[in-house]
Amino acid sequence: MSDDHPHDHDGHGDSHGHHGSPFIQHHYDDAQHQFDSGKLGMWFFLAQEILFFSGLFVAYVLYRHHHPEIFSYAHHYLDVKWGAINTVVLIMSSLSAAWAVRCAQLNQRKGLIGCLVFTIVCAFGFLGIKGIEYKHKIDEDILWGRNFDPCIASAGNHLLNKKNQCPGVKSSVVWSASSKKADRGCMEGDYDLDAHQEGVQGKCEVHELTMGGVGKNRQEISRRPIPPCEELAIHADGHAPAVEGAEGKSGHGGAHDAKKPCWELVENYHVCPSGPAALVLYGDHEVRTGVEIEAKCEAAPPPVALVDAFADPDQPIVEGQITFRKSERLTKHEAQHKFASGPPPEHTGMFFSIYFAMTGLHGIHVIVGIFIFIWLLIRAIKGHFTPEYFGPIDYAALYWHLVDLIWIFLFPLLYLIH
Amino acid sequence: MSAAQPTTTPASDGHGEAHAHGFAHTATVKVLTRTFIALMILTLLTVGATRIDLGGNYNLALAMAIAVVKATLVVLFFMHLRYDRLFHSVIIVGGLLFAALFIGFALMDSGQYQDTVLWDIRNPPPAPIGPPPIR
Repeated sequence: MSDDHPHDHDGHGDSHGHHGSPFIQHHYDDAQHQFDSGKLGMWFFLAQEILFFSGLFVAYVLYRHHHPEIFSYAHHYLDVKWGAINTVVLIMSSLSAAWAVRCAQLNQRKGLIGCLVFTIVCAFGFLGIKGIEYKHKIDEDILWGRNFDPCIASAGNHLLNKKNQCPGVKSSVVWSASSKKADRGCMEGDYDLDAHQEGVQGKCEVHELTMGGVGKNRQEISRRPIPPCEELAIHADGHAPAVEGAEGKSGHGGAHDAKKPCWELVENYHVCPSGPAALVLYGDHEVRTGVEIEAKCEAAPPPVALVDAFADPDQPIVEGQITFRKSERLTKHEAQHKFASGPPPEHTGMFFSIYFAMTGLHGIHVIVGIFIFIWLLIRAIKGHFTPEYFGPIDYAALYWHLVDLIWIFLFPLLYLIH
Repeated sequence: MSAAQPTTTPASDGHGEAHAHGFAHTATVKVLTRTFIALMILTLLTVGATRIDLGGNYNLALAMAIAVVKATLVVLFFMHLRYDRLFHSVIIVGGLLFAALFIGFALMDSGQYQDTVLWDIRNPPPAPIGPPPIR
């Protein structure tokens, strides 16, 4: 430390007894010089951070510009609630980081430690919520690129069991071909959702099983076959409102009687973007109480079986009727707002590539911030920081505010797409 | 970058807080809490705004406008830029300008090669207009 302060506003620097903090490096004129140099470097770093992130924002802007439909569809998979909570958590941590700087400047050691601890807790909270969101997406195959495959499907000769839908198993979105509306469904057991299956032979046996008994005593009473839709085709012109919801892309050729359930093999059915599927179409047929669907298809590996049992997902839940569990069933409002646009548009996975890249890079910054703040906390407990030497707190706070800034933009861009 | 900067002149901290040291602005509790409250209100606003259909891209524009206001608040008050050296503002605004250039030019250019790169084999692009290339 030099005795002659070159800066006039440092004139009062001697009036308090922190002269000569051991952390003022000798190659600086004084504490002011060291602080200013560090801060200048930090602002340059923040500017390059903005440019660093801007690459991902370019990806976002370009893809949204060219494929707005993907964005207006895919954001329904994100929960605004968690995004908003994380925004609040991050702003709170920003406040405490700014407050930590103030505490350090005013030599309030306890306040500084408290602020740092609070910031770290918020950072962990943010990561925890992000973890919940990521886990949900991983569970439902709402992933990047071609791994985006949220469908209900069962591989192999497994039963697709309507009664046992959703007791803690993989749950996904089913798109109801007849009503052009999506509904929730899930399948029994944990199946490998490999959508790139081959060798569909086109021979399936689909049965509707009438079940009796409750719980362990539940057993099959009788079964009746469900015919392929081709056999039921009655409209020569192919006009069948109950099936045409699939928009023809999935190879729906046959029209069928909307009053009778039938199955048909679907290649590249929308719900499973790249996998074949046996789709049981119920049309206007009423699903009877105590009914399960069994689909066995001949193929190696066998195709995916999908069940679409509800012609009208907006129907109120009737007690005793076999149906989706209430919690798994979307209300009319939710159905309109969540999956109003039917099956996912092509390349919806790209949204999630961008989503995971942006939130992932942001999350890495949060993790780095946690390490920095823990380091600062240890130093604060040791009493390293004085009103003369608080640069690291200030720089870390600046970094943390930038992390907050990035999230301030990510939140509306990813979660709040109208 | 010299001592002439007004960062720590008594005038800029007229709030009467005791400054332990002079070389950086100390944020007041009032400024910090008010900034925080403003950010919370804006977060509520931006979430609430999604429930209203403004049509076109106005929802996006509103959400971005709110985000820009929030970001400005964070930068000015949490990051002290309001009281900081002008040069730091130059750095960060410069960074933002270059980011805007990056995004803007990429967007301008993005449609240029669409036909030649991303065409469907069953639906090839139209033949190029103009004379055949000279070989």
